[in-house]
Amino acid sequence: MHRRHFLQLASVTTLGALASGCRAAREYDALTLTHPELLKALGAERVRTIGERYRATTRGESDAESLRQAIDHSRPAASRILGAAGPSVADLVREDFEKGRTVVVDGWVLSRTEARQCALYSITRPA
Amino acid sequence: MHTDARTLENGSVVAGDLCIVGAGAAGIAMALEWIGAERRVLLLEGGGFDYEPRMQELYRGEIAGLPYFPLEAARLHYFGGTTGHWAGFCSTFDALDFERRDWVPHSGWPIGRADLDPFYPRAHQVLGIGPYEWEAEQWRRRDPALVPFALDPKIAWTKMWQFSAPARLGTLYREQIVGASDVHLFTHANVVEIEANEGATAIEGMRVRTFEGKELRFRAPRYVLACSTIQNARLLLASNARATAGLGNGNDLVGRYFMEHLEMPSGNLVLTRTPAPATRMYAFEFGRTKARGEMALSPEVQRERRILNATVSLEPAPLEGAAQSTFQWGTPEVVERMRTQRVVPDAAATADSMAVRAEPRTFHLMTRQEQAPNPDSRVTLSGDRDALGVPRARLDWRLTELDRRSFRDFYEVLGREMGRAGIGRMQMRDWVMERADAPWPSSLGGGWHHMGTTRMHPDPKRGVVDASCRVHGIGNLWIAGAAVYPTAGCVNPTLTLVALTLRLSDHLKSATA
Repeated sequence: MHRRHFLQLASVTTLGALASGCRAAREYDALTLTHPELLKALGAERVRTIGERYRATTRGESDAESLRQAIDHSRPAASRILGAAGPSVADLVREDFEKGRTVVVDGWVLSRTEARQCALYSITRPA
Repeated sequence: MHTDARTLENGSVVAGDLCIVGAGAAGIAMALEWIGAERRVLLLEGGGFDYEPRMQELYRGEIAGLPYFPLEAARLHYFGGTTGHWAGFCSTFDALDFERRDWVPHSGWPIGRADLDPFYPRAHQVLGIGPYEWEAEQWRRRDPALVPFALDPKIAWTKMWQFSAPARLGTLYREQIVGASDVHLFTHANVVEIEANEGATAIEGMRVRTFEGKELRFRAPRYVLACSTIQNARLLLASNARATAGLGNGNDLVGRYFMEHLEMPSGNLVLTRTPAPATRMYAFEFGRTKARGEMALSPEVQRERRILNATVSLEPAPLEGAAQSTFQWGTPEVVERMRTQRVVPDAAATADSMAVRAEPRTFHLMTRQEQAPNPDSRVTLSGDRDALGVPRARLDWRLTELDRRSFRDFYEVLGREMGRAGIGRMQMRDWVMERADAPWPSSLGGGWHHMGTTRMHPDPKRGVVDASCRVHGIGNLWIAGAAVYPTAGCVNPTLTLVALTLRLSDHLKSATA
């Protein structure tokens, strides 16, 4: 195999692996994003209310795609772009609190990520 | 010794070495100190040994400004004073409470926490509370079930409270005081005027009037006014024969800076961790709990956010449950039951209550916040007079935007810390989130804690009493009690006012030695 062909094949394989990793991460998130941990503590009705209020008061984050993108963009570049094993949603929530990325929705002091999760939940599980 | 003043001849003059007006927490704490001191102490109490409606009626006053609890129900007018119905909540002021804070107008005491440290343990003895231990870890060593939340101490901490039985000082110390040969208690001795010399630079006597129309005079080289924050101000203002604005009021400060603690339901907490963190540290059973913790923000955070001091208690309750402020649940009838009923709850009822609360995961959050000193929050004289001819008090309780804003900042910071620590999530009530200039909600409440009105400051233009609690410009009149507080702290005032009284007592003893 010529050196040039080898490099082309290697590049394609690497990009494919990265894309696959990225998809896997996003699919993983898709399963967990709409089920915030808060459901256990607050119940579906409260989570739905929080989600609806968040969507109503946060510009540009009123539909599922924009919310998923917003959560995705809050992840570190290494996992967002390169597909490296990224932080779990629980890690994102914890990091939000540590870095002061909190919002007040319906009076609740929440991590930005979990507020977005609630918003997604209110879309995927409407009353 | 004890004498019912009604039995004295009209026009009698009684002389002593020290005259204390008022036999509540401050007056009794001071009188106890003088037993065996070989001085003749006159202790004047307006009421008798038992509750009398017509004595309480003397405390009725006018309410202006914000809604407030009926004055005649907020203080008790008989031997033992308001300890006759207090709940026994005690905690110490923080060092920051004494400091001048540039974001809290009129803050700063002329003394610091270190000045009171020697007197707090003695105050424990008077009030019958536990060891002089105020760290959560100290209580954890005593009871391993008392585990404080793992909060970042740079952000928040667990402030300890201790609970008196509660001590009814009138019952506890009646025999000791009545049996003392050097303390002479006069009951039914209502002071209607503080009599000053012509220049109003010294007090010459206390004029007492009885319902039967007798007038008596009590004289001593030194006088201590200890008849509660509102009544102290009322008596100084009403004693205007030698000073038209009232005694000690040359700079129009007497009655100003009236403060309460804002005790209001402010939010909810739901525990999110599984298994739930232990909450026994924060539990309270009236009459049984010796100590518990409440959550507070660190001095660093208070400085950074420029907010007032506060603590928050956890009350197990469903999130949906309506919460009431102290004034909403504590009607005058309920407060009266505090005085008349047994304080130790029924054992079976307590067992039920403990069972229900075995693993609480949701709580109402009750805030206790200091009120910012405000010269417009004040006690003046009403146009109405009581049955003994003394003008009644008029209370104009006022709050500021700092009081309101501090609530929201407190909950934002604590809510974030509870999330960071993985303990749970906090929710603020709607009124907490409103603008700082919004009207106060119907759940506005206080702790029945009256402070201010004769604040302490070394400058007579900024305070009524000096650092020793002596009234500026009057050589022989001191004030004991929470009336001298320049700022309110966020904890109930009784422990600190007793400590301050003991400090004053030592000062007077050294002055008379």
